[in-house]
Amino acid sequence: MLALLQQFEQSQWWPPERHAQLQFRQLGVLLNYAFERVPFNRERLASAGYRPGMEVTPELWARIPVVTRRELQALGDAAVAPDLPKDHGSLIADSTSGSTGVPLRIAKSDHVQTIWSAITLREALWHRRDFRLKLGALKRDPEGLAFAPAGRAYPDWAAPFAAVYETGPATLLDSRCTTAERAAWLLQERPAYLVGFPSLIRDLARDLLERGISYTGLRGVNTRGEPVETELRELCRRAFGVEVADMYSANEVGYVALQCPDAEQFHVQSESSLVEVLDGEGRPCAPGEVGTIVVTPIHNFAMPMLRYALGDLAEVGAPCACGRGLPVLRRILGRARDTLALPSGTRRYARIETKTLQQIPGIVQFQVVQKTLYDIEMKLVTRRSLGPEEEAMLRAEVKKSLGDHLSVVFTYHDEIARAPSGKYFDFMSEIPA
Amino acid sequence: MTAMRASLAAVPLSNLEGMGWPAIPTPHSAHMLAIQQQLGQSQWWPRAQLRDWQFRQLRPLFEHAFRTVPFYAAHLASAGYRPGQEIDEEFWRRLPLLTRLDLRKAGAAIRSTDVPRAHGKIAETDTSGSTGTPIKVPKTEAEQLVWSSLALREELWHRRDWHAKVAVIRASGNATTGQHMPNWGSPLAGIFATGPVSAFEIRSDVVRQAEWLRREDPDYLLTFGTNVVFLCEEFRARGWRLPRLREVRTVGEVIEPETRRLCREVWGAGITDIYSCEEAGYLAFQCPEAEGYHVQMEGSLVEVLDESGASCAPGKTGRVVVTTLHNYAMPLLRYELGDVAEVGGPCPCGRGLEVLTRMVGRARDQVRLPNGEKRYAWQSPKKLAEIEPILRYQVAQVALDELEVRLVATRKLTPEEEDAFRRAVVANLGYDFRFRFVYRRDIPRAPGGKYFVFRSELEVPAPG
Repeated sequence: MLALLQQFEQSQWWPPERHAQLQFRQLGVLLNYAFERVPFNRERLASAGYRPGMEVTPELWARIPVVTRRELQALGDAAVAPDLPKDHGSLIADSTSGSTGVPLRIAKSDHVQTIWSAITLREALWHRRDFRLKLGALKRDPEGLAFAPAGRAYPDWAAPFAAVYETGPATLLDSRCTTAERAAWLLQERPAYLVGFPSLIRDLARDLLERGISYTGLRGVNTRGEPVETELRELCRRAFGVEVADMYSANEVGYVALQCPDAEQFHVQSESSLVEVLDGEGRPCAPGEVGTIVVTPIHNFAMPMLRYALGDLAEVGAPCACGRGLPVLRRILGRARDTLALPSGTRRYARIETKTLQQIPGIVQFQVVQKTLYDIEMKLVTRRSLGPEEEAMLRAEVKKSLGDHLSVVFTYHDEIARAPSGKYFDFMSEIPA
Repeated sequence: MTAMRASLAAVPLSNLEGMGWPAIPTPHSAHMLAIQQQLGQSQWWPRAQLRDWQFRQLRPLFEHAFRTVPFYAAHLASAGYRPGQEIDEEFWRRLPLLTRLDLRKAGAAIRSTDVPRAHGKIAETDTSGSTGTPIKVPKTEAEQLVWSSLALREELWHRRDWHAKVAVIRASGNATTGQHMPNWGSPLAGIFATGPVSAFEIRSDVVRQAEWLRREDPDYLLTFGTNVVFLCEEFRARGWRLPRLREVRTVGEVIEPETRRLCREVWGAGITDIYSCEEAGYLAFQCPEAEGYHVQMEGSLVEVLDESGASCAPGKTGRVVVTTLHNYAMPLLRYELGDVAEVGGPCPCGRGLEVLTRMVGRARDQVRLPNGEKRYAWQSPKKLAEIEPILRYQVAQVALDELEVRLVATRKLTPEEEDAFRRAVVANLGYDFRFRFVYRRDIPRAPGGKYFVFRSELEVPAPG
């Protein structure tokens, strides 16, 4: 594990050309295997003009068709290789529910898992976490043993941390607990680090601020799973006096990008994946442009995913001032299907301004759902009924964010449910992408 | 950390088919890289944190020494040591220093009777010696792993191009016609791919060394410190160049600023020096960014003490005292090396590792043979260490065919011991000199503190 980290510490400073060179060399081996062992990939590769033993060039690469999550789901076991290369250890089979609840079959080798674990450690080292302190996690506990008030206690941070370092204890609270329960747990368990989905931590920080409760025991907030808005970063500074370190990963491909320790943007984990951001025409986006994220894990012989479109959007960034040569994603914008569908037939990224929401006291939770091309439903959980002026303010804000052509209705709820994965989305579109 | 850091472009050799990068290396390489990862972090720790870890590491070592090394059972008890106690600054100050005489007297009682099996096989050292007469120190595989890792750190610090060609001139056996090896050897070989090495014997005529070196035209040269002076003089006298040379690496002797200037003038290359000793291995490496040497605090605890035994402040010069942190076969606890060093202030590079600015230790003149050859006066530290009574020695060339051996010893050498000494020296210098043995209470250092293990007292001394 440390031997891998030692390599990562060197390679993070390499220029992008060096990464590309080694990635394509590694992909040469993977493509060969994918062609020989996975018929589905053989067809795709052959259609791109690939023949076994061929050198992988950027031109060849660009000809390989992109595969979507839906296509992989439909393939099931046919996407998995019948065996692993010699000495690659055992095959780990799994599936991921994803945000939609339709499961995707996943397979990986022991070695892929090792590399992912090394990146887990890299992330913690980048952000200079002190492993001796207490870790608090907000996460769904499949065994259901982590409910309020105390959650579930662990003696250490678990693998890979505890396998390599001496660590402090950890505490887990089920993400299905209420915001009030989360706050009580935080104040009682007093962790130094808080890990969880941004929406969970946002609600928690907001709740503490509203109630005037201060908790200064945190050293850092570590998020994943949902896009992080500037609002969350500000809330965490105000409520806890700490910065947010975000990461972008997916069960089927592992780590895609980690937040830079010196800036609020993300470094692609080139040692593990080739990450592309493509525009509507399938061309690579330039810095400043937003496109679809396409990922190729370069070591997964168990289930070669070549040019896999995760379904998320990102903005490409310019080289980072920190000096690392790992490619930069300036922002990760979340799921492509949760973009706003426009009457013109195109879609655009939908971001809801939350300034007005914060000015209206009593709003606990909200979610904006596009029902049709012209209709928006704004779901609200409030502690009191809103007045007509307040609804008007909100309506104006939504129209300002999304477009004047939309009409907005308000519905009031006791609770807004999370997606099956536990994630929460401020904006959802019911119009398929 | 906003500035871009230079990095190593090389990828380790992978032991797993299909996974070239990042490499999944062999278990030995993985150990080496895993330690390297830790060294990469710890070099930036503040000095107090490094010292704290040194003391933590010493706690089990002291227990082991107390329990399994007869000499230390008595020595530590007299210092008030109790098994299991914390090692702290206060206890440390009370712990008496060890001299070479103490170790000589202790004999086999200084070795552990029960080295933990997990520390691996035990090997005797056979590297270049320190001041005067070295002592023989057995080392475990675990200890060697740490030292190899430090050697790898030195390679990384100085960002060498491992695909380049290296010339090595040292005591390398029968290589007077030159010898070619496919790779750079330890610590790199097996972990990374490297270029070739050409080796030549240091116990040969300097002119032949120079001719060979010129033919080889290497990218890097590794040799003993004063041999650089001898070679540069030859190159300068003949107007020769080494057009490809990027860096000269030295071990074993004091490098004077004058030597660095000479090297730059004649070869256009800088010198990167390593401060090491036979007994404790690597002690300090030159900083890659600034002047001065960084103590390898992860391997040994190095102290520089004044007359009263107190630690020297930056700018002050004192005696070098070494404690090895990992040698469970023969722990060295506060061992006085016989070298002198100047302490430096915090390094501008930001590393927390302690700084030494100037070391004063071993030096040697050139030997001249009656046939006109000039040679580097190499003597086998191992052979000399086997002669029990010797505490210090100096060999002086008093005539073209005569050497005077000056000894500080616990007793007069027997005729057999004198003969063993004679044979060891003759074999290395390549001429059957006449010998004269004299016994001294002390062998004074030269002005400036240098200790000459070989001194030329010929009327027209050889250069160097």
